[in-house]
Amino acid sequence: MGPITSLPGFPAWLDLLIAFIIGIGFGFALEQAGFSSSRKLAGMFYGYDTTVIKVFFTAAIVALVGSQFLSYLGLLNLNLVFVNEYYVTASIVGGVIMGAGFIMGGFCPGTGVSALSIGKIDALFYVLGGLTGAFLFAETYPLIQPLANGAYRGPVKINEVLGLSPGLFTLLMIAAAVVMFWLAELAEKKFARPDITDKI
Amino acid sequence: MNTRQNLSAILVLLGIILAFLPLSGKYSLREKPDKLLSEVLDEKTCFTADQVARFVVTEDSTVQLIDLRSAEEFKRFSIPGAINIPYNELMALDLESYLNRDVRSIFYSNGDYQSGYALIIARGLGYKNCFVMKGGLNEWYNLVMNSRFSGETITARENALFETRTKARRMFTELNSMPDSLKARYRESKEIERKKLDGGCE
Amino acid sequence: MNPYLAGTLLGLVLLFSMYLAGRGLGASGGLKYCVVSIVGAIDKSHADKSVYYNKYFEDGQNPISNWLTLVIFGVLAGGFISGAVSKRLKFKIEKSPKISNFRRLFFAFTGGVFFVYGAQLARGCTSGAALSGMAVLSLAGFITMMAIFGSAYAFAWFFRKNWI
Repeated sequence: MGPITSLPGFPAWLDLLIAFIIGIGFGFALEQAGFSSSRKLAGMFYGYDTTVIKVFFTAAIVALVGSQFLSYLGLLNLNLVFVNEYYVTASIVGGVIMGAGFIMGGFCPGTGVSALSIGKIDALFYVLGGLTGAFLFAETYPLIQPLANGAYRGPVKINEVLGLSPGLFTLLMIAAAVVMFWLAELAEKKFARPDITDKI
Repeated sequence: MNTRQNLSAILVLLGIILAFLPLSGKYSLREKPDKLLSEVLDEKTCFTADQVARFVVTEDSTVQLIDLRSAEEFKRFSIPGAINIPYNELMALDLESYLNRDVRSIFYSNGDYQSGYALIIARGLGYKNCFVMKGGLNEWYNLVMNSRFSGETITARENALFETRTKARRMFTELNSMPDSLKARYRESKEIERKKLDGGCE
Repeated sequence: MNPYLAGTLLGLVLLFSMYLAGRGLGASGGLKYCVVSIVGAIDKSHADKSVYYNKYFEDGQNPISNWLTLVIFGVLAGGFISGAVSKRLKFKIEKSPKISNFRRLFFAFTGGVFFVYGAQLARGCTSGAALSGMAVLSLAGFITMMAIFGSAYAFAWFFRKNWI
């Protein structure tokens, strides 16, 4: 039963090799989606290219649905899969800062590295900025520690907060995504900018 | 039909199936097996019969004794203050109301086996505030019920131990020699107390 | 590639990650570990004194041999393979023709600083917290995702000259 690396006696080097291979798949998928183009990514927020929301939600839902089916078939123990923990202020403040960074830089770290790998110089500067940002965080950590560690709620799951079963929540999320996809395609027609989309 | 519509249809179908599947991760272990095993074998998860005797004598409310034997055996005699969850029914119950509290739960059975298994299950499901009484009732009998003082001098510590054992023995004998009706009422009153603790922050 | 197909592919990668390693993807973490190991290499005493860095060097651990760092190396390789296969390998600065190269590079750098700073605070970026978080139904994932998108839309008007 998965997760495979939680089996007793699993060698650490194999764990890291798996990480590398998953990374290759990750980078490949991101680049194939066209995410190594900052103008395509930024297009989400100006309407002319909504690939971001389509890829994002499709990926999240495929993984969500797949993992639940695997759990049902007894192939994956979902209790052993990491659920990220909720720190109320840090999540929100961090998210806001990230949004600003996204619209300025036009990348997120994953897409930035993937763009760097195909030769985008602006991605190179983005990644350098990213390393600087990580360094700044490490150096200013003592100052913002209370913000970063405050309001800890633990690994809360959204379906528990809403009182729904995971399957029911997944269905609702799929329904919401279907609506969003439809709206996204409408937006692309309305805010179309062929001068940009033909070149990215 | 374009890709979006195809994909949406497939996802909605899968979502409907998921919404109605009886998925529940409640009964799978929340801990990796080797970590769980070392946790359970650790000294820190055992209480000796002497420690339990002290909890009984001081009527310590931070501790809940759980008797894993059958209802029959429980009626005949049990440690004062213990509640009965027969081992066979452990998995059928909603353990949440018994175990997920600030109170420490101490399992005991006749020996070590059933209490050990119950501990693995309880801790594996995520209830970390669970322990066992080492040696079970057999050890309780040896240490508490049959304790005799022999020798000429006694240290303060031995004295305290002896006193606790004697008091516990008295409480045990008193409770278990009550007629059945009184025993039942005593147990019910303990049940009501327990439920009050639960109802608080619902 | 069709976005829905690419999304499915990405979702499958994420699913494999959950099945094989019991965790989702992540990118900003990898960058952090690179910084930590660089700092450790240049000025170890500073790293040992700092409450932030020293936890990565406990027990003689090496920050590079960490799951997230290997993933980010993999992303570099995977992106390259994909670019090579689809003939998209080319050195260029991608930007709107209305702004200068310098402006684009400046904002790329600054954007990186902001983004990874925020990602460290929120304990994840769009891949680590938002995408993987949503796939495990984590509340933090959804909240972070809404914060990122909301904030990006809010700031979009101010930076529109850079893109449109």
